[in-house]
Amino acid sequence: MASDSRNNEKQPGFLPIETNWFDRLFISIVIWVALTLFWMRFIEPLGLSVWFAVAISAVLGAYIIRKG
Amino acid sequence: MHSQKFGWLLLSPTILILGLFGIFPFIYVVWVSFHQWNPFAANPLMVFNWASNYRTLVFDKQFLASLGITIAFVFFAVVSELVLGYVLAQALMKDFPGKAFFRTIHTLPLIMAPIIVGSVWKLMTTPSIGIIPYLLRSWFGYDLNIGQSAAAAFTITVIMDVWHWTPLVTLSLIAALVSLPPDPFEQAQIDGAGKSQIFWHITLPLIRPALLATVFIRLMDALRTVDEVLMLTGGGPGSSTRYIGVHIFREVFPKTNYGYGSAISVVVLYLTIVVCWLLYVGLIAPRAKRG
Repeated sequence: MASDSRNNEKQPGFLPIETNWFDRLFISIVIWVALTLFWMRFIEPLGLSVWFAVAISAVLGAYIIRKG
Repeated sequence: MHSQKFGWLLLSPTILILGLFGIFPFIYVVWVSFHQWNPFAANPLMVFNWASNYRTLVFDKQFLASLGITIAFVFFAVVSELVLGYVLAQALMKDFPGKAFFRTIHTLPLIMAPIIVGSVWKLMTTPSIGIIPYLLRSWFGYDLNIGQSAAAAFTITVIMDVWHWTPLVTLSLIAALVSLPPDPFEQAQIDGAGKSQIFWHITLPLIRPALLATVFIRLMDALRTVDEVLMLTGGGPGSSTRYIGVHIFREVFPKTNYGYGSAISVVVLYLTIVVCWLLYVGLIAPRAKRG
């Protein structure tokens, strides 16, 4: 129960709105999808694989979930 | 613990229904979107093709054009419905002869099936027999032909949507306006506030939650408009009213391209969620407190 309340706690981070861990997971998924579609459209034709976008999104997502 | 178990027991029908009719179909559509699947082809099996459908999608000019006109359609329809709905709600808050009758008949479009609405509007806008082209020709000398003019077809689809859904906005806003406390308005009038000041500083902030809920509902609904438009214009002339829902219909049913249709559906769902979330963040999400 204690860990539950800690997980749902609104913490101050670099995002301009109050968020809990699920909000930050949602924001990470939104960014992941947007970045992947953008990459497929504009970067992948230049030769860089879409897996780079996935890796960047994973790092960005982890950062947002921890520090957002 | 007993009460927690009882709580889960009470929630279980909702969770079951949500899982069966909401979550499972969503996961299935996402799964299908990663496949090449034509169940009516010589090979009816699903073939996993990674993100190939999404790769096709971001280069699909027809899809991007559909997205553009859908955004225009949603913008014009929802804004018009909000403005008209608010004006009508304010009008229906006042007493006038025949108010009960008008209040009843103004909600009639809501109970009509979209496919019927589309058929009725098609009859009304067909150049040779429709009342609207006839009146426009007799009064203004304007020849309305939604089979030839892209702008006219687009405008008529917006007007049809506004006609169909404004009563929903009106009803929501009446409910919000009725529940407002009278004190702030009386105090503002005593302080000499004008009508526009009262509207911007008292009415609008107080009805904001109801207004936002209505915007969300209408936004999501307008983004997936299919049947009305399909009946009225069939997505034409050309592809001028081929909104995203119509585009998905054309991809899935005549072409039986289920994988690609699912990919479009997932992206449209994604865009809908993002737009609603941005509205929520911009208008009602609590700001972060900085130390």
